[in-house]
Amino acid sequence: MKKIVLLCIICVSFLMVCCNNEDFLDQPLRGRQQLDDYFSTPQNAEAFINGIYKKVNGESWWQANFQRQINDMATDDNWSGNTAQPRPDISGISAYNVFPGSQYFNSFWENHYIGITRANISIDRIPAIEIEESIKRRMLGEAHFLRAFFYFDLVRNFGGVPIVTTYTELLEPAINDKTRSSVADVYKLIEEDLQIAINNLPLRSEYPAKDLGRATKGAAQSLLAKVYLTEEKWALAQTNANDVIVSGEYQLEPDFANIYSVDNHHGVESIFEIDYINNPVFQEIGAQLPITNGSRGDQGWGWGSPTSDLENAFLSEGDNIRLRSTIIKHGEPVYGDPDVTSFNALPSENKSGRTNRKYYVPVAKRPVPYARGQIALPYIHLRLADVLLIHAEAAYFNNDPTSAKLSLKKVRDRVQLPTDMSLTGIALRDAIWKERRLELALEHQRFYDLRRQKIDGIPRMALIMGPNGSFVKYNTQISTDPYETTNLNESQEKGIFFDVSKHLLWPIPPKEIQLSRGNIVQNPGY
Amino acid sequence: MKRAILIIMGFLLVGFSAVAQHTVKGTIKDENGQPIPGVNILEKNTTNSAASDLDGNYLIKVGNKATLVFSYIGFKTQEVVVNGRQMIPVKLIEDSAQLEEVVVIGYGSVRRDEITSSISTVKGEDIAKTTASNPAEALQGKAAGVQVLSSGGSPGASPQILVRGITTNNGSQPLIVLDGVMLPDGTSLNFLNPADIENFQILKDASASAIYGSRASNGVVLISTKRGKEGKSIVNVDLSYGMQQMQKINMAGADEYIKVVNLRRTNDGAQPLYDPANFNTDTDWWNEVIENYAPITNANVRASGGSEKINYAASVSFFDQQSNYDKGWYQKVTGRFNVDFKISDKIKLKQDLSPRVERYENTPAALYNLLRIDPLTEVYLPQSERVGRNIYSIYAASKNNVPNPVGNIARQFNETFFFGFFSNTQLDYKITPELTFSSQLGLNVTNAQTDVFTPQYFTTPNQQNEINNIARNTNRNFDYVLNNTINFKKTIKEKHYMNLLGGILYDAQNYNYLNASRDGVPDNENPDLRYLDAAQGEGITVNGNEAQDNIFSAIFRAIYSYDNKYYFTGSLRRDQSSRFPKDNRTGNFKSASFAWDIDSEDFFKSSVINNLRLKVGIGEVGNQNISRAGQFFSVGSDSYVFNGERVVSSFLSQFGNTNLKWETVRDKNIGIETSFFDSALDFSFEYYKKTSKDLLFNVELPNYTGIPGLVAQNVGSFESEGFDAQLGYNKKMGDFTLGLNFNISTNKSKAVALAPGNEQIFGQNRPDLGGRFIKISELGQTVGLFYGFKTNGIFQNQTELNSHTSNDGTAIQPNAKVGDLRFVDKNKDGLLNDNDLQVIGNPFADFYGGLTANLQYKNIDFSMQWYGTYGNDVFNYPSTFLYSGVQDVNVAEGALNKVWTPENTGAKYPRLTQLDRNGNYQRPSDLFIEDGSYLRLRNVQLGYNFNIKGFQKCRFYISGQNLLTLTKYSGFDPEVAAGGNVINDFGIDYARNPVTKTYLLGLNLTL
Repeated sequence: MKKIVLLCIICVSFLMVCCNNEDFLDQPLRGRQQLDDYFSTPQNAEAFINGIYKKVNGESWWQANFQRQINDMATDDNWSGNTAQPRPDISGISAYNVFPGSQYFNSFWENHYIGITRANISIDRIPAIEIEESIKRRMLGEAHFLRAFFYFDLVRNFGGVPIVTTYTELLEPAINDKTRSSVADVYKLIEEDLQIAINNLPLRSEYPAKDLGRATKGAAQSLLAKVYLTEEKWALAQTNANDVIVSGEYQLEPDFANIYSVDNHHGVESIFEIDYINNPVFQEIGAQLPITNGSRGDQGWGWGSPTSDLENAFLSEGDNIRLRSTIIKHGEPVYGDPDVTSFNALPSENKSGRTNRKYYVPVAKRPVPYARGQIALPYIHLRLADVLLIHAEAAYFNNDPTSAKLSLKKVRDRVQLPTDMSLTGIALRDAIWKERRLELALEHQRFYDLRRQKIDGIPRMALIMGPNGSFVKYNTQISTDPYETTNLNESQEKGIFFDVSKHLLWPIPPKEIQLSRGNIVQNPGY
Repeated sequence: MKRAILIIMGFLLVGFSAVAQHTVKGTIKDENGQPIPGVNILEKNTTNSAASDLDGNYLIKVGNKATLVFSYIGFKTQEVVVNGRQMIPVKLIEDSAQLEEVVVIGYGSVRRDEITSSISTVKGEDIAKTTASNPAEALQGKAAGVQVLSSGGSPGASPQILVRGITTNNGSQPLIVLDGVMLPDGTSLNFLNPADIENFQILKDASASAIYGSRASNGVVLISTKRGKEGKSIVNVDLSYGMQQMQKINMAGADEYIKVVNLRRTNDGAQPLYDPANFNTDTDWWNEVIENYAPITNANVRASGGSEKINYAASVSFFDQQSNYDKGWYQKVTGRFNVDFKISDKIKLKQDLSPRVERYENTPAALYNLLRIDPLTEVYLPQSERVGRNIYSIYAASKNNVPNPVGNIARQFNETFFFGFFSNTQLDYKITPELTFSSQLGLNVTNAQTDVFTPQYFTTPNQQNEINNIARNTNRNFDYVLNNTINFKKTIKEKHYMNLLGGILYDAQNYNYLNASRDGVPDNENPDLRYLDAAQGEGITVNGNEAQDNIFSAIFRAIYSYDNKYYFTGSLRRDQSSRFPKDNRTGNFKSASFAWDIDSEDFFKSSVINNLRLKVGIGEVGNQNISRAGQFFSVGSDSYVFNGERVVSSFLSQFGNTNLKWETVRDKNIGIETSFFDSALDFSFEYYKKTSKDLLFNVELPNYTGIPGLVAQNVGSFESEGFDAQLGYNKKMGDFTLGLNFNISTNKSKAVALAPGNEQIFGQNRPDLGGRFIKISELGQTVGLFYGFKTNGIFQNQTELNSHTSNDGTAIQPNAKVGDLRFVDKNKDGLLNDNDLQVIGNPFADFYGGLTANLQYKNIDFSMQWYGTYGNDVFNYPSTFLYSGVQDVNVAEGALNKVWTPENTGAKYPRLTQLDRNGNYQRPSDLFIEDGSYLRLRNVQLGYNFNIKGFQKCRFYISGQNLLTLTKYSGFDPEVAAGGNVINDFGIDYARNPVTKTYLLGLNLTL
């Protein structure tokens, strides 16, 4: 018996000696690659760059695009629309009864900064990788382009925001003590980043087909033109827009109806788009907007429904070509969808009985299941018509009405509208602005346009919204729209609470103010 | 179920076995002439044995020349030669030396008077009185300084144990050690059969727990299971059956609901939404969803006994608890087989095996929706609208967009099958009488498999699931401990006693999972096809990973006592943990404690006080309770699209901290124990102070850093301070026995140092309350306080409204109207914003305590147990919608009388408004904070003992749990669920399933 015990003791001691404690205690994190050696291969570096793009629209519907949708609802183009679910964080914001705690503000903020950090890591690591110089330059160009894209979105929504431009500062304790930078400093960074991008990125035609969708020199120039336009740097805006127009890289889609189509990915007009496909295995690489923006009678959530005010704008211009490809009306056929002769916009749950045609997918082209994240409809951030109208607007303010009218005409020609080449002054300005509204309607541009465009120093948003706003007066005094005036679950007074002293910026998410221990200061009035 | 009964029957049969020639009878009494039941009578040098019955009578068949051995714990063993006699009355003499209780401490056991630290003991018999899936439920109110925080009333719910407050931010659960084997963090006590528990020892201070080092900072709960004793086999059968009842919450009916919805609009100048004439439906969703009574069943059979060489204790148990919903139940079957082999005089082997099976279906978290859904909606669609719909699609969509809870429950299919196997092997080798080598190997393997089926259904175009899905998730965890210790015990010159212990320990935990799901099961309604193999869809997901946590430790402990007057204990533990970067991997934890038995001193003479002892201790324990990923910078991957093709996208998924190090908790404990009148009355009092250093915390950095998720950091220091007091009274007066135990504890945990950047630690971000955090831990303050705006009543008239201005006359709440809340502009800057946030409540009690009373008169026994907390606040989250109808959800019955109207100016809640431009319900405020003090009758039991031939003991009882609650709290249950993280989650009522009232009948039989 003693022998057995002795044997046991020997065995146990043996185990203790043999079992190397270092091996026992060095436990890797299994199933996860580590950042330290991640950038050792070009494939990994490219995957990391791809990850920055992922944050342009977010992984799903709510990180970034839903705030864009809410922004469009806070204009005269869209109602909040969904009258079945009065939500303070959606309907309230679009009516300027702003709820600062909205998770969509917060996730938009968070999403964009995560994108910025992904860009910062790439900018930090890529210079040291051993790969072909042209690819390295391209990747750095992509990272700078995307970083500028994120900051531009942030500054337009929230005003001056904290600036983080390197990865290494995240490792320092001082990162906790950042404060908001000035609006000017944010724009300075955006301009610098876009210049770097322009200098490093290839033209669209220089990319192999498999890389379609990556940032191009043209995309960077277009974005920079829009940045300069927002800053009212008219000459620079005109130059950059012109560079894109004359590059020959892009043409207007001959048929307006073909710009937004499940069959048209990276079309000739598209300058920067997020491509979406149907893939049942990877379920969030398809579009979300056809569902979130779609009619509640058509498997959609019904957030955002076009206003009769917008429809009137098309009608007053005699613009049927764009109207039919922009607005679907209840009980009417859907242009381009032979399967639907009488559309169900479910007016009992839809303020205006109208739905956005641009993010609508014809029944025959729908995947099964027809679910968000699985729809192959691209989302276009920049297209040539946008750049032409940037060019027109910049040229107008740059005292170059001739160039302005030439660009305006190109856009109108496509939809068979005549252009009055005798227009001058305010009439020309208003024509360009109206053209922008009609051409880019429901594409999440109007909100930023109304915040930046000014008449006698007053932002147009303040002229349209507020107790005396034209949109508010139209709805409360003039409109006889059968849907809007009867579905009062969304108030006809939408916009009456608009206050120009605070509503040109959204509130900083209260969570961020708390997390920064008050270092990040709230915007006035919230 | 059938199988379980068969097993139980099998065990019953084991009990009957005895053969002999000659019958001996008699009565066994103590020195006072009281009969002693349960005395073991053994025929010497045989395995033939018997036990005395309730009246002390025994009967055994033996040979004429046999010698009988009478033994009973606490009495001197007596040998009697039969010598042909047939009646042998026996008087047993108490053995005071043997009465010395042995207390299990880490890696050994000592006599109770050797304990110099703070240890609370709760006996198994007290635990077994409560019928619950989780023995921790029964710990509530039983021991001073130990809080049990409920996690609600769902079957199989696992409460949290909190020992002496909070010193850490990450997981406040104590370490569970089962028969010497450390179990993984967060182990639920569900796996234990309460009837198997001999006792709980709760190590409360660091001088007791330091021997467990790095995992002991939240205290240690040592659980000992029952072991066999030499003597005749004893079989116990315990059965109980009961009904659980959920207290109904009355919600507004259709009339009141329509009035509220319309008032919300008309108060804003908008049109009313509903015309009451159009509605004749008035659904009472509570009655549709909740079943009044849900059964609970417990059956347990144990057999124990042994001979000189082998002792055994074996049990099987069956437990079944149903929820008050259509879905949701919990079942478990446990087995335990504890065997002690005496291989030789020097070698002892213990082998415990405990397999267990748990099956459960999650209880629907339906309360939230059933409170909110409008009463105007029918449960089901009319027959005419069901055409072409499957059985999951016949539920009506509500008017206010709250999912139909009946439909949700009908579409919920999940079932978990859990299998666990625990083995504990211990070999003790007495090398010399003083020196013992012990080797212990504990193995614990668990396997859980969860099947989830999501049916295809259609309610409305945007409330539907177009394709069904089947998922199977499997988790396999394996952990082992290997403890090798050497123990040296010696008494020198009769006065110097020493007990030295050294050891090397390994502790390894492995976690493993594989999850898969697939779309397109061909038949939506056939349960036989709900397997991955049957699915045909293209949507497939597969995930799997593995993780490993290892700790290597060396321990040393010395106990020294002099003349049974002075006791000293010192311990040292060195831990190395795989969770920390290499350079910070090692932690040393030490403790020292001292006790003085004043009553043993010659100068101490008292006829009243028979025990007086002082003790002091200091110690240090560690905490490694932080994600194992904490030190790593990891890259995750996702998908993106270029040119219509999917490509891999990757990103930083975890921001690491390479400086991460141990959290240490230092603690001081001072206490006094005393007893009076021959131990009839005993009293103890302890004061403690625990201070943590390098507090481990998962910090959420400002979002502008773009750092995803949380970062593990060492952020500062918390201090937890309080006292525990216990008073007991036990007296026997003739046929009447009385036992009273009262305990009371206080605790205050505050943040005493916080690193730059972490001066405020927030928790519980509520998007609906302005995206603000409603919990804060701030330097110098109690941790985990409620945070928000203070209110100062309701604006009663325009004059009050107009006068609510800053010094320069600007309105502080420009959007407010009469009937809205007046918020306090804390910093008086004339603006109401985030700078006005302040502490609005404290979820922690000023004190909490329990009272247990046991009475016995002849054959009748009665016991009750109370538990209460005083001075704690509850954040009544349902009150953010129950009196406002936010988003047109339903309101509490009578809400119309509780909201402000020009006629009801004394109302607590502000006016109804849909726009809520004043943010009455969009800000966290003290409107939602209520006093959560309560006193609850946890358990009351009345038992009757009766005689049945062939049984040693028969007892029948009726019992009730949670029958009575005294509280001013207006919500459903003041005993709010704790949530995962005590600091961040505790004290918030999220309308989780409340603790149920339970009525039980039970039977205890002993063969």
